[in-house]
Amino acid sequence: MRTRAAVSAALASAGILIAGWQSGVHIADTSSSVASTATGTTGSTGSTGSTGSTGSSATSGSAGSSGSTGSSGSTGSSGASSASGTTGASAKAVGTYAGSVVQTRFGSVQVQITVQAGKITDVTALQLTDAERRSVQISNQAAPLLRDEVLQAQSANVQTISGATVTSDAYLNSLQAALDAANL
Amino acid sequence: MQPTSELAGSALKARTFGSMGTVISLTVPARALGTAAVPGTAGGGERELDAAAAAVARVFARADETFSLYRPDSEASRLARGELSLRDSSAGMRDRYADAISWRLMTEGAFTPERPDGVLDLSGIIKGYAIGQAGEVLRSRGITDWCLNAGGDVLVMGSPVPGSGASWAAGIVDPLDRSALLSAYALGGPGARRALATSGLAERGDHIWTARSRGAEFAQVSVAAAGIVAADVLATAIVAGGTAMLHRATDSWDIDVLAVRRTGELLATPGFRA
Repeated sequence: MRTRAAVSAALASAGILIAGWQSGVHIADTSSSVASTATGTTGSTGSTGSTGSTGSSATSGSAGSSGSTGSSGSTGSSGASSASGTTGASAKAVGTYAGSVVQTRFGSVQVQITVQAGKITDVTALQLTDAERRSVQISNQAAPLLRDEVLQAQSANVQTISGATVTSDAYLNSLQAALDAANL
Repeated sequence: MQPTSELAGSALKARTFGSMGTVISLTVPARALGTAAVPGTAGGGERELDAAAAAVARVFARADETFSLYRPDSEASRLARGELSLRDSSAGMRDRYADAISWRLMTEGAFTPERPDGVLDLSGIIKGYAIGQAGEVLRSRGITDWCLNAGGDVLVMGSPVPGSGASWAAGIVDPLDRSALLSAYALGGPGARRALATSGLAERGDHIWTARSRGAEFAQVSVAAAGIVAADVLATAIVAGGTAMLHRATDSWDIDVLAVRRTGELLATPGFRA
């Protein structure tokens, strides 16, 4: 009986570790996938909690409360089968999990998550550097700017003009034509 | 030894010619030309520039002969009429077609080489490709400081003041007032971005079809990149694909973007910030 419990506990631990690992990997992709895997993890500990109440009375109170959140996460069914009939598996759900190293054009990025009671409580970046191992500017996003916040220039101070393609006729009255004429 | 006035270095020489329905300008610092010429006899440098401009013009003329849909006798027109199939077309045609299809994949369809009527139109990448080829021709002629502008798409090499390391200053037209500049960008010099392309709704040709059919968000989009084809294609793709494509482009490529919404509001990457 004890061996069976120990084996199933080990199985449950492995299952939760894998779930944690997967959410660690997914977190590098999108936040929405993190949310879905997080529900899955909660679901598995929830089922642990409900069976745990039959095994040991000492942890039943706290495990029961996590079980209630688990029941809301119906997507945790995959973890539920391996976690059934075990005690103490919810304790294993506390820990940190490192995702795989993902190559981006800003350099290597690796994310670590901390899981407590089946919930992701912290997300940190283990690796966030470029080839020279300097910290890098992650965002090159285009943001709204006012007209006087962008680089300014007068046509007298530039050597060439970029604009939507003009026809040969329209060129005559373009700023580029004026520059070209000055340099002929 | 040249007179000091010429060594001051800001003097530029330009040549222009028409091709592909627009005007191409080649600008070179006077100092970079005719270094062997005797000062005062003026001619060596001018002749060198004329020869370089002629070589550049030949690149554009060749591209236009093959790819223009405005010429009934071009290979592209014969393809469009169904007289020629892609598998029987020239290697150059198939290479550019492959380029265009890979850009369509990379931009998730925002850039496409096909018109809504199904006709293959590679004009969206041909100009950029020709500009790049012309740049190689200039380089092979030993000219290392130049600025090439084809209807508002710009590729540079070196500096307007040879040896100084100074960038070429490119102005960007204000789409709401084409006689004024909206912004500027430093090309070449110490920077890796040598190309600047601008696409807009006012654009000649009609390779931005999705924009027309959906109601475009942007009046004008400028993209600075290392290469002119990437800059040109991505500017076109962002006009067609709107804000979603803009963010996808800045996430996936090493570029700077200045986008002007139809309302006049600006979106810009940090590289355009004053």
